[in-house]
Amino acid sequence: MVQINLPKNSEVQKGNYYQDKTGSKNIRKVNVYRWDPSNGENPRVDTYEVDMDNCPSKVLDILNKIKNEIDPSLAYRRSCAHGVCGSCAMNMDGKNGLACTKPHSEIEGDINIYPLPHLKVKKDLIGDLSGLYKQYESIEPWLKTNTKVETTEIIQSKKDRKKLDGAYECIMCACCSTSCPSYWWNGDKYLGPAVLLQAYRWIVDSRDDERKERLKKVADELKLYRCHTIMNCTNACPKGLNPAKAIAELKKMLATS
Amino acid sequence: MENNNPLSPHIQIYRWHISSLVSISHRITGVLNIVALTIICFWIASLLLGENSYELTKIFLNSIFGKFIILSLTWSFSFQMLSEVRHLIMDLGYGFELKTTKITGLIVIIGSFILTILIYLIGKQFI
Repeated sequence: MVQINLPKNSEVQKGNYYQDKTGSKNIRKVNVYRWDPSNGENPRVDTYEVDMDNCPSKVLDILNKIKNEIDPSLAYRRSCAHGVCGSCAMNMDGKNGLACTKPHSEIEGDINIYPLPHLKVKKDLIGDLSGLYKQYESIEPWLKTNTKVETTEIIQSKKDRKKLDGAYECIMCACCSTSCPSYWWNGDKYLGPAVLLQAYRWIVDSRDDERKERLKKVADELKLYRCHTIMNCTNACPKGLNPAKAIAELKKMLATS
Repeated sequence: MENNNPLSPHIQIYRWHISSLVSISHRITGVLNIVALTIICFWIASLLLGENSYELTKIFLNSIFGKFIILSLTWSFSFQMLSEVRHLIMDLGYGFELKTTKITGLIVIIGSFILTILIYLIGKQFI
């Protein structure tokens, strides 16, 4: 159901203010969403004054700086810091992206950092993605082939391989799915852009023999057709992929098959 | 076990862009148009009651408020038409590149106002 307002226990309150202690002249205010599961309080937004003279270029660097130098209680996911693992996906300046690839110079004014939208928060910037992973499992993202011989490779033409470009690069960071209003309101049934892009990836793979069954499986009013080409997904994708187009291709395949 | 963890903010914090604006406006104008069409049907039906009822609606539609409503509805229908064409093209699988969606979105927004003015000017010739 469409619920515009946040539930009562999720309303964001004003939080603490951490004044700069370095005496730097180049200060930026960073507002970070905080929620501590241990004390039963509502989420809050803490404001940190960060010394930008000694801070590398990305938003993740700011978070690291806050955690290392100002407030070690801040929790967020990160790993590779090169836009490959997808761990540090979050909402920065009102748009989803990877903190490790988003330059803070692109953001004007105060920097607002929130967890990925419309997820159950585990702590601070960490959202619960288990629902999305379950949906990912439901499309059976592995090769299904009738070929009995398992010792030789399955040959694929260059043309067929090209069909996977723009789909195989997905790192499942969930930036797209959690940017999608349809996924916010119907996330329990609608598969969302990330999972549909992966469904598409296996459907167009020439080596897969279960194309028809896969198509039949996503052909559902709620699973697929909740996409209304709002384009938030493509706009958010930090890898420059186009889930909206993949969904349109799926719809086209179903309309013409 | 019920999960009582808070829900992270969504529409409250997410930044709007042209495609999302066009998409939500498409829905709003769609609802408006249905309501408007229903009222227009009632209006036409009311004409059966005779000259009196015709004069009454004429006075209302000639008032500033009436004109405002007519213009708003003209815009709402213009927007819906242009946006629908955009959707049809997208249903064919074209125009999904970020730049293209931005341009077509802008065309829909600006075009809806131009179409409104055009319809207004053409309509004036008939009255």
